[in-house]
Amino acid sequence: MYFSIILVKRLVKMMLLFEIKKVLSKPVNKIALLILAITLAVVSYFAVISVSYTDENGSSFSGPAAAVRLREEKNKWAGRVTEDVLKKVLQENSRINQSPEYLSTDVTQNNIAYSEKQGFSDIREMINFAFSDFQEYDYYRADKVSESEVGKLYENRIESLKTWLSSNGISERWSQAEKDYLIRQFDALDTPLYYEYSDGWRSLLEYAPTLIMFTVLIAGFLVSGIFPGEFTLKADSIYFSCRFGRDRAVRAKIGAGFVIVSAVYWIMILGYSLVVLLSLGAGGGGCAIQAGRGWKSFYNITCFQEYLLTIFGGYVGILFVLGLAMLISAKTRSAVFAVTIPFIILFVPSILTSMNILTGVLGFFPDQLLQIPSAVSSYNLLEIGVFVTGAVPVLFVLYLILYGALLPVTYRLYRKSELR
Amino acid sequence: MELKIMNLTKQFADLTAVDHISLTMTEGVYGLLGVNGAGKTTLMRMLCTLLTPTEGKITFNGKDIFLMDGDYRKILGYLPQEFGFYPEFTVNDYLLYIASLKGIRPAVAKKRVRELTVKTGLSKVSGRKMKKLSGGMKRRAGIAQAMLNNPKILILDEPTAGLDPNERIRFRNLISELSEDRLVLLSTHIVSDVEYIANDILLMKDGGILHRGTAADLIQSMPETVWRCFVEKSKVSSFMKKYKVSNIRSEPYGAQLRIISGEKPLPDAVEEEASLEDVFLYYFGEKAGENDAAI
Repeated sequence: MYFSIILVKRLVKMMLLFEIKKVLSKPVNKIALLILAITLAVVSYFAVISVSYTDENGSSFSGPAAAVRLREEKNKWAGRVTEDVLKKVLQENSRINQSPEYLSTDVTQNNIAYSEKQGFSDIREMINFAFSDFQEYDYYRADKVSESEVGKLYENRIESLKTWLSSNGISERWSQAEKDYLIRQFDALDTPLYYEYSDGWRSLLEYAPTLIMFTVLIAGFLVSGIFPGEFTLKADSIYFSCRFGRDRAVRAKIGAGFVIVSAVYWIMILGYSLVVLLSLGAGGGGCAIQAGRGWKSFYNITCFQEYLLTIFGGYVGILFVLGLAMLISAKTRSAVFAVTIPFIILFVPSILTSMNILTGVLGFFPDQLLQIPSAVSSYNLLEIGVFVTGAVPVLFVLYLILYGALLPVTYRLYRKSELR
Repeated sequence: MELKIMNLTKQFADLTAVDHISLTMTEGVYGLLGVNGAGKTTLMRMLCTLLTPTEGKITFNGKDIFLMDGDYRKILGYLPQEFGFYPEFTVNDYLLYIASLKGIRPAVAKKRVRELTVKTGLSKVSGRKMKKLSGGMKRRAGIAQAMLNNPKILILDEPTAGLDPNERIRFRNLISELSEDRLVLLSTHIVSDVEYIANDILLMKDGGILHRGTAADLIQSMPETVWRCFVEKSKVSSFMKKYKVSNIRSEPYGAQLRIISGEKPLPDAVEEEASLEDVFLYYFGEKAGENDAAI
């Protein structure tokens, strides 16, 4: 009995390896892998050059060298963003604003002035956000904030949310429980925020959704042929007439899909992360996302936690999307139709955004998992009875369950296949 | 060993591909002879559990083959008419993959693949990609995969279709060699294939079994006689319309016809010994000529 189990396991492993070989040996799939490699290189390049630095002569450059200089400047301001720090930022900002370089009409002179602001530009940005209306942004708002009021930065964050939630046209969008939840979340943020250079993480997170989406689309080509392949090659009669053709071999196909999707995804995302973080630095992972572009997010997480959510969200998303594509391919016996599934899932929600009736639902579509940085900035909530939560954890649970449910359906559908 | 088909029917919309067939087969080579569209492939696909019957049952040693599931397929070898394969796989990889699908232990599979590639004459091309093989080689790889699990039941659907005469003879001999101690069901529309290999011939027409027996039995069962006669060339077409003509040989002043008829077609017609080809023509008439069926 024991040896029989070992033997079957070895056979399933062999089937799995041959299934993977079938996929990887196809010329069209070799091209898909090449495109993935090019995508990885291009997206990594854009992420790396997204960090720029302006030197004391007003010249700008980007990439790893810029990251080194910028880190030096920003880390001069590393630490808790207390009222004293905020005041110091306002003083520095004001000093630079009165400098001849800043007041000059010459762009290069202006750049020289800007070069001095780079170190505290993120904190200055927090002031801009905190003292603008909730849905507005004014780059010069920090220039008008007084030292006496800047200490209200964190209070303002909560107050402006409350004002916004009670405003006309917005108030009706959420229930009182949801509004209370958002305010509680804002209130629970650990302040004063800790700040240090985190541009490596920011660039990483900014371009990660692009990479994930390309990976989903291209990996779709790889896996959509796993099930229809037997039919298109007319190998189905031999396959299904074999002893394991209607059970373990089908499981091996599902397994091959999982292995290929997982391998491709993790190679892409970890390769990308490695390139970007090695080029731009991995410091600042412990900073709250609110200490940067995530000022208005109600998810109280750090950059590193956002990164984890992004990569694991992307993984759950790609498993679900491509699992669905495989299910469709098993049912329709068409790889062509299956390839379109990722496109539909990714692009249809953006078309549907114009339909107000779907606003609340769109935040729970699987495309959200592929763009967690955008999802953590959105106010999509789920209310069940007295329980209220953000969409992000729901997305993880929902699509993991759905992916789990897709597998037995795919298995049953395929094993019952009859020749046509 | 007994493979029993009971009242088997397969209906596709308005078409009855297999029509209430009942049949029992034990060890030996069975030739399923019929024109294209007679229902041979559908019958074989049901025997391979690839299609479920609309009606009726197939049992192996008394057990329903569809309920036996993997246990039945374990003793089955099948070479379909349209032999699909994985073009980028080498012959070796292909056979090892099928061996894993058949549940053969990896060590045994390697040995079996080696044996079968030698037996089928593929050992020199075992590292070559399947897509690079000639038609005959592909068929040989097909028979090799069917034989991997040393099946008790070997089902071969038109195994010689599309092969050149030399390759066909080689293939026929190979099937004969492999047919010992097992049940081989061979479908074809090529008379000479079954004539050489099969002990038991099943004539299939319109989804049913028309006749069953040895070649001699079938020849004897034919109610008409085979005649040889000489006619002028201008009369050949009228004879073809009036009689079943199994062969025409052109001669300087006319043609020598081989006619199957209950009555003597001409006063000087000479009675000939009937062959299986004549039987085929007699039962399948015009359709027998399609796709070099009577060759």
